Amino acid sequence: MSDQTLAAQAPLQISRWRCWWDRNRDTVDAYLFLAPFLVVYSVFVIYPVIQAVYMSLYKWDLLAMDMREFIGLKNYFRMVWGSGITWDLKHLLVWRLVGLATIPLSWWAALRGSMRRANARWLSIAAMVLFAGILGIHPGESGGRWYDAVFWSSFGNTVQFVLLSTPLIVVVGLAMALALNGSGRSLGLYRTAFFASYVFSVSVLTLIWGYLLQPQRGILAAFLANFGVDPIPWLTDPKLAMPAIVITTLWWTVGFNMVLFLAGLQDIDPTLYEAAEIDGAGRFMQFRHITLPGLQRTTLMVVVLQIIASFQIFGQVYIMTRGGPGGSTRVLIQHIYESGFRDFRLGYASAMSLFLFAIMFVVSFFQFRLSPQEE
Amino acid sequence: MSVADWTSYKLRKRLGKITFFAVLSLAALIWLVPIIWMFSLSLTPNEILKTITTSLVPIKPTLANYIGVFQAGLTPRWFLNSIIVTVVTTVGTLVLCAMAGYAFARLEFKGKTVLFPFVLAGLMVPKEAMFIPLFLVFAQFELHNTYAALILPRVAAPLGVFIMTQFLKAIPRDIEEAAELDGASRWTIFWKIMLPMSLPALTALGIFTFILTWNDYLWPLVSATEKEMFTITTGLASLQGNFAQATELGSLMARGVLASAPLLLLFLIFQRQLIRGIAVGSGGK
Repeated sequence: MSDQTLAAQAPLQISRWRCWWDRNRDTVDAYLFLAPFLVVYSVFVIYPVIQAVYMSLYKWDLLAMDMREFIGLKNYFRMVWGSGITWDLKHLLVWRLVGLATIPLSWWAALRGSMRRANARWLSIAAMVLFAGILGIHPGESGGRWYDAVFWSSFGNTVQFVLLSTPLIVVVGLAMALALNGSGRSLGLYRTAFFASYVFSVSVLTLIWGYLLQPQRGILAAFLANFGVDPIPWLTDPKLAMPAIVITTLWWTVGFNMVLFLAGLQDIDPTLYEAAEIDGAGRFMQFRHITLPGLQRTTLMVVVLQIIASFQIFGQVYIMTRGGPGGSTRVLIQHIYESGFRDFRLGYASAMSLFLFAIMFVVSFFQFRLSPQEE
Repeated sequence: MSVADWTSYKLRKRLGKITFFAVLSLAALIWLVPIIWMFSLSLTPNEILKTITTSLVPIKPTLANYIGVFQAGLTPRWFLNSIIVTVVTTVGTLVLCAMAGYAFARLEFKGKTVLFPFVLAGLMVPKEAMFIPLFLVFAQFELHNTYAALILPRVAAPLGVFIMTQFLKAIPRDIEEAAELDGASRWTIFWKIMLPMSLPALTALGIFTFILTWNDYLWPLVSATEKEMFTITTGLASLQGNFAQATELGSLMARGVLASAPLLLLFLIFQRQLIRGIAVGSGGK
C-alpha cells in the first residue's frame, strides 16, 4: 500500500467518525444526563414493583430467605378467599344499594352533559360488577370463614377511613380556600396559620394529638368540661377511634388541599365575575355558576390525590392506637407491615402490596377517564 | 338611593367584614392551639405537668426540658441523622431531576418517546406500598441501617423530573444558543445557564423534597432498626410507645418542638415558594 492511500484514508476515517458524532451527539449527551437518574430510578422505583410480583408467587420467609418455595397464586388466594364462601343478595345490602346509586347518578350526569356517555357506561359497569356482584361474596353461615379475616377487616377500616376523610378534607379545604382567597396581608397571615400544621411530621402530630385527645390530661377534655361534657375516651373507644384519627388527619393535611384550591381559584378568569355582577348575579349564583365549574379540574385532582393518600394511611394509626382498640383502626399498610416483619411472610405481604397498588391504579385510571380532555 | 341608605349599606358592609375577620381569627386561634400547647408544655417543668397539663401559657417557664434533651438520650443523634439524610436526599434529588429534566426538555434523542412515559409511569407507583420488595433489595446488599438505605429510594423522584422538564421547556432558547456559538459545552450550558435560570423550580422542588424526607416515617421504620440509625421522626415515634409519658411530658414535647424546628423555620422563610411548589407539582398531574 502506498503512502498516498494511507494519507487519503486517515482523514476519511476521522470524518466518518465525526459524522457519526455530529449525528448522535445529542443522543450521547442526553443519555449521559439521564444516566444517574435512570439508574437510581430503575433500581429503587421500578425494580421493586417487578420484585413484588415475583415475591408474591412464593412462600418467602424473612428468616429463611433461601428456603423460598414457589406456590403460584396461593398468596392471592389466601388473601381474598376462604372456606365455605357463598354469594347472596342480602349481604351488605344497604351499602351495595348505596353503591349502585352510582349508576342512575352517572347517567343523570351524562344526560345533563356534564359527563361523557362513554364514562357513564364505564362507571355503570364497574358499579355493577363491584356492588351487585363482588360485594355479595362472603363466608357462609355454617362454619365458613376467610382465610385471612384480618386482611378484610383492615381493608374495611382503610375504606372506612377513605370514605370518612376524603369528603371532609376536600370540602373543608375548599371552604378555607374560598374564605381566604384574595390579596391583602391579613389574609396571607391566616393562610399561613392554617397551612402551618402541614409541615409537622407524623410523629410530632401524634405526639400532640395523642395527648390532646386524652380524657384525663388532654386539653380537649378540659375545654369540653367548661360545657359540662364528660371526658371522652377518643382513642380507646372502638366507635370513636377512627373518627378521632380522621379529625387528626384533617388538622394535619387540609392545608395542602387549601393551597391546591387557592391555585385553582387563581386560574378562574376574574372578568367572569365582573360580567356576572353587571348581570346582577348574587354571591351564591356566582359561586354556583362560575366558581364551581371553574374548579372542576382542581376538584377532581384534589379528590384523587386525597383518595390515594388516604389509602396509604399508616403512621397516625400505628403510633396513636397500634390499630386498636380491638383492631378497629388497623389499616391495610399496618397489616402488610406486620405480615412482613412480625409474621415474616414476605411473599404474602407482597401480594397485599400489589393489591393496594391495583386499587390506586384503578383510582388514577378513573381520574384519567373523567378529566375534561381539552386541547 | 338616599344618603341614609348609602351609609347604612356601608355600615352593614363594614360590620360584615368585621364579623368575617372575627370568626376567622377565632378559627385560626383554635387551629393553632395544638401547636401553642406543645410549645407551652415544652417550657413547663415536668413536676408541674404532673398536676396541670392544660395551660396554654407555660407555668414557671424553664428551658430545662430542652437542655435535658442534649444531656442524655439519642435525640441529638437522631436529629443529626435526619439532617444528613434530608440534606443529601434533597441535593441528590435536585441534581438528578434537573439533569434528567434538561435532557427531556432540550435534547432530541433516540428513545425519548419511550423513556419519558417510562419515567412518568413511576408516578403511579405508591411508595408507601412498595416497602417489602425495597426491603429485600437493600437486604441483599446488606445496606440496612446505613444512610445509603435511607437516602437512595427517595432520590429518584419522577415528579421532580416532570416538574423540571416542564419548567426548562418554558425557558427561551436564545441565551443557550448564544452560549453554544461561543463554544460552550453542554455541561457548561446546563450548569452555568440552565440551573441558575431554573432557580424558582429548584427551590420549590427542594423545599418540598426536604419536608417529605424529613417527615418520612414508614421506610426509615422498616430500614433503620438500630436505635442509633433512627431518624428524628421514627425516633420520636419510638419514644411515644415506651417513654414514661406521664412523668416526662415536658421533655417529650421539647423533643417534638426540636423535631419540627427546621421545618417550621424553612416554612416561615420559604412559604411562598413552597405553596407555589405544591400548586405546580400537583397541578401538572
